[in-house]
Amino acid sequence: MSIYIHIPFCTQICSYCDFCKIYKNQKWIDIYLDALKKEIIKNYRGEKITTLYIGGGTPSSLSLDELKKLFSILKIFNLDKNAEITIETNTEDLTKEKIDFLKTKVNRLSIGIQTFNQETLKLLNRKLNINNLKLAFQNFDNINIDLMYGFQNQTAKDLQNDLDKILKLKPKHISTYCLILEPNTKLYIQNYKPLDGDKESDLYNLITKTLTEHNYIKYELSNFAKPNYESKHNLTYWNNQNYYGFGLGASGYIKNKRYENTRSLTNYLKGNYRLNTHKLSKTETIQNEFILGLRKIKGLNKKDFYNKYHIDIKDIKPVKKLLNQNLLLENNQNIYINPKYLYTSNEILLNFIDFSLHKH
Amino acid sequence: MKQTNIRNFSIIAHIDHGKSTLADRILELTGAITEREKQDQLLDNMDIERERGITIKLNAVKLHYNYQNEDYILNLIDTPGHVDFSYEVSRSLAACEGAVLVVDAAQGIEAQTLANVYLALENDLTIIPVINKIDLPNADIPKVKKELIDTLGFTEDEIILTSAKTGEGVDKLLKAIIERVPAPQGSDNDKLRALVFDSYFDSYKGVIALVRIKNGSLKVKDKIKFMATGATYEVTELGVSTPKHQNKSILKCGEVGYICASIKSVSDIKVGDTITLENDPAKEKLPGYKPMRPMVFCGLYPTETNKYPDLREALEKLKLNDAALEFEPETSTALGFGFRCGFLGLLHMEIILERLEREFNINHIATSPSVIYKITKTDNEIIYIDSPAKMPDRQKIKLIEEPYIKTNIYVPSEYIGSVMELCQNKRGTYISMEYISQTRVNIHYELPLSEIVYNFFDKLKSSTKGYASFDYDLIGYKPSDLVKMDILLNGETIDALSVITHKDFAYNRGKTIVHKLKEIIPRQLFEVPIQCVIGSKVIARADIKALRKNVLAKCYGGDITRKRKLLEKQKEGKKRMKMVGKVEVPSEAFLAVLNIDEEK
Repeated sequence: MSIYIHIPFCTQICSYCDFCKIYKNQKWIDIYLDALKKEIIKNYRGEKITTLYIGGGTPSSLSLDELKKLFSILKIFNLDKNAEITIETNTEDLTKEKIDFLKTKVNRLSIGIQTFNQETLKLLNRKLNINNLKLAFQNFDNINIDLMYGFQNQTAKDLQNDLDKILKLKPKHISTYCLILEPNTKLYIQNYKPLDGDKESDLYNLITKTLTEHNYIKYELSNFAKPNYESKHNLTYWNNQNYYGFGLGASGYIKNKRYENTRSLTNYLKGNYRLNTHKLSKTETIQNEFILGLRKIKGLNKKDFYNKYHIDIKDIKPVKKLLNQNLLLENNQNIYINPKYLYTSNEILLNFIDFSLHKH
Repeated sequence: MKQTNIRNFSIIAHIDHGKSTLADRILELTGAITEREKQDQLLDNMDIERERGITIKLNAVKLHYNYQNEDYILNLIDTPGHVDFSYEVSRSLAACEGAVLVVDAAQGIEAQTLANVYLALENDLTIIPVINKIDLPNADIPKVKKELIDTLGFTEDEIILTSAKTGEGVDKLLKAIIERVPAPQGSDNDKLRALVFDSYFDSYKGVIALVRIKNGSLKVKDKIKFMATGATYEVTELGVSTPKHQNKSILKCGEVGYICASIKSVSDIKVGDTITLENDPAKEKLPGYKPMRPMVFCGLYPTETNKYPDLREALEKLKLNDAALEFEPETSTALGFGFRCGFLGLLHMEIILERLEREFNINHIATSPSVIYKITKTDNEIIYIDSPAKMPDRQKIKLIEEPYIKTNIYVPSEYIGSVMELCQNKRGTYISMEYISQTRVNIHYELPLSEIVYNFFDKLKSSTKGYASFDYDLIGYKPSDLVKMDILLNGETIDALSVITHKDFAYNRGKTIVHKLKEIIPRQLFEVPIQCVIGSKVIARADIKALRKNVLAKCYGGDITRKRKLLEKQKEGKKRMKMVGKVEVPSEAFLAVLNIDEEK
């Protein structure tokens, strides 16, 4: 079982961010952590936890004492001794004392860098502290770096520059994000025009080429890792497995129900955690298995699919057609998206949004 | 009721000159409808009619009016107001002795005013000129009077002024109808001749035929015979519309009413046909009958192939009530099973397409409209084709002829230049021009009908700021240097996109179609070349570059629900697409050839 914990607080709001976030405020953090504890106690059933992911917001924006309080709450969980425990961080928060503390609590850091370009950082309303960054790398082995691309007028050279700087740090894992303009973000409101799709696709190819040359394995559409350093936590999402989501705006998937928590702090503090709960039909579950699973470069394992659903994967209507069209490929074990079409994979996933299980 | 106290009349007008509103006032004034039943434009039954402000199906209403202590029956026969339906107009006029000609006090005479006057004159009707909408602030009564006097030869004291909106002058009009329109001729003792001027389908009674008894009389249980088709039936019900149906046991000479005779489909009877008694038939049928022939054809295909039976059923239902609609199965390699449909004109086609979508909920693809071409082959065999797909090989063609029309284009004189330029661009031949007043002209051109079914009407409207009105008569076939142009998508000929066009226009049209298609067809996972060819010669080409990005760039825990919505939205968009070979083509692409702009 996996757990996601949401810490919504930020010291600065990024101009592209549409996640659930609140300006940091000491009084609220304290109350929030108490409420979080209540939610966990109310719902957690004591399962063995193999991955724990603390995301945000900016969890690292919490003070040392607040972090201590957070981790004392997380003691509730029955953690596997090899559990992957990740916390999301920003470089400006990674002071020596926080790093020393986090070292004792987590075994994986995810650091939001996005870009090294000063002007773009300004546009994104982000900061970057190179000294803290180096310090983090001296203290952690398993680090993920977030890299963003697709900015207005961004050239291959701009991106290459960011890639080179990241590669110098030798992170074990790199998550890439193409800039998406979500409604209710500052960039969206400013009517910012991102790079056009064709150029973005060029940049994506450049990322794949560069990172592959440096022995990173692209194991998911936007994620790269050194061998054995894939994100176990994120793989539970793509494997369509169950996970708890705790905290403001968090979402979870338990048994056959997907739920989403409220984004209203007032409601959350009152104990009204759930915004909605949706029970999935078997068809929907299988649809999600494809939509999520085909993000993995290896695709879906045929045997696992059968064991999970007792249906031959090739009896799923669109599979055969897509194999014939060479949009999906297969080997002995897996069915996966033809790498040529990864960046246009929606065209393939569309086939899985409304198929029905019943054969005619 | 004495035959001498019957008046049968129609109201004729250009579109929007207030015909239906005037009819409503007449119904009110004669007490045919009470205040409570009042619904604007009672005679226009269909939603589409109300929305477009045109009357498509006819109605006839029997009204009572007392004038100088005499009771009169006024039969008001409504007419459709569009050139597509001019044969139907002429048949309903043939059922009358008089016509009320309505002209808008601000607009004056327009193209359909004149067309309708000619139809009325052909049927020897007494015409009562009416200037309507005199309440409008921009009404120019002296100007319109002058047009009526100068152009149509009326005298000033014949003209009646009305405002259908306020009711002003409507009583004067009713008096004029009684005084001026002659009573019906003929006698109850003649052999029966009843003119069928319309029919419609009623799901309980079957086909209801609207008739005017020209000679003799007709009773329930009479065995009747349709003289043009030869079909015989027994009358099960007779009646008049007031506008509610009122049963009668007999329809006498001069009367207007309806007949039910267990007739299954409106195509079983023909508008303009003459009904007589089977056992005591009249010698000759009434003059003027013409079988209706569709002029414009298009292919009609369901967007989803499994909806073919639904489409057939819908067309069959529409046909029950629309004798002019024709359809036969047609197969397209690109679009699968569908129908070749024939229509009286473009408006008729648009109405049917709209009703299929609105009333039957069938998403369909219509191919670009075609006229009937007359082809003389090298072995002198003559064939008529209504689809580019039926065009023989070029080597086997000796001569291609296409239908031509003669226009009446009414326009303020400052637009003469733009109208002429447009007609010239549409392969028109200038015939003549008449000034109907100092500032307005009627321009006559001869034009190929096929150019009219393209975007002529829209163009005419836009190049004259909406001032032009337009009407036409078919004048027969003329030879033309025409070629069949094919469109290839991804190397495959898309039969549904083929068009027949004039050789001099081919290059430009080909280029425009190809670029239009490039705009309309979304990028696919592979590059799609679009080619326009005549025979084996490529005359235009454009390439749709392969799609490079359509991806959910990130998807983590909470995203799946939202991402699904995004995919669902994309999927919804795909429903308007048709798989043609390997290419997904939006349905509007098949009409792309219609909306091309040669001047570009």
